[in-house]
Amino acid sequence: MPNPLQHEAAQSPHEKMLQDCLRGELRIVNTGLPQSQKRLSNLLDEKYPNVVCNDGSTHFFKRSELEYLASMIDTDEQKALPLPMLIELGANQAEASIICEGKVEEKVISKALNMPVTCEERRIRIYKPQLALLRRKFKTTTVYVFSPKTVA
Amino acid sequence: MPELIKVRPTKIELVKLKRRLSLSQRVQKIVKDRLSILTMEFLQTARDTVEAKRKLLDESAKLYKALSVAAGYHGYIALEKELIATEVDLKVTAGLGNIAGVRIPSFELMGNVKPMKGYNLVDTSSWLDRAAQLSEESLRAIVELAELQRNFELLAMEINRTKRITNALEYIVIPGLQVTIKYLNMKFEERDREEKARLKRVKVMVARE
Repeated sequence: MPNPLQHEAAQSPHEKMLQDCLRGELRIVNTGLPQSQKRLSNLLDEKYPNVVCNDGSTHFFKRSELEYLASMIDTDEQKALPLPMLIELGANQAEASIICEGKVEEKVISKALNMPVTCEERRIRIYKPQLALLRRKFKTTTVYVFSPKTVA
Repeated sequence: MPELIKVRPTKIELVKLKRRLSLSQRVQKIVKDRLSILTMEFLQTARDTVEAKRKLLDESAKLYKALSVAAGYHGYIALEKELIATEVDLKVTAGLGNIAGVRIPSFELMGNVKPMKGYNLVDTSSWLDRAAQLSEESLRAIVELAELQRNFELLAMEINRTKRITNALEYIVIPGLQVTIKYLNMKFEERDREEKARLKRVKVMVARE
């Protein structure tokens, strides 16, 4: 039997407002997420490198940043590096994790931060000061992800 | 002092309030996370803006000095004659980026910008070459500063908005809900105690009869 409290119609206006606020905030913070990531090699070939975001807008990449990334890795790795890199904010506010597919991200991040990093369960965990450093170097090639799972 | 929310003192209302509280705390968590990221980006942008401004001022000072020396060396009319043919259209790529839900502009100068190149190298001095090189760097600094300053403004506005939401949740919504839940709990406990006392009295009365 369905719980009447869970039913939409049974919610008070106050509760609805809060629910809308939560949905709105999640929607706002994740509007910049790309519909799909593109490989670095493909982006380098484009005249205006960009990806389409969830809200239909485009996320623009700076060519200088792409060239900097390309200088860090070889041609085969350029074909494997998905961009933009996704930075997931954890439940713990002191750290963040970079969602990675393979070893390429690990190599790029360790070179950018000038320290060894390891990929565990498809995540590279970094601390806030390192995040600031990373964002400074890769302003357009990284985006934040706010996951509702980590928030709950 | 947080205000009590006007609700009927029933168990169902208490359950509703508890759900509302947990929802508010989740919203608060998201908003706080976002605020901390925005603040970090804002501080970084502020630092970069100051640096870019200083760089632009330095480059401009050097450029005007080099141009003055070149003008003194060649004369204004000759210099103007040399430079008149060197005008080129600048191509700036403008796009949008996103920082935690804030749409920010992104500008980049296209290709190799040579704003003063094209003059006769034989008839001109190395001072003009220096001025050309410095003007190129100044242009890059201007574009960079334009982007940073706009980002700075947009981030500041978003931080203000997010702070208002955080404060509303932290100081009004959540304390109000907590106080109301506490009030309802006390009310139910009081009812239980009254019920017990009543039952005891009834029991005594029944025993007497």
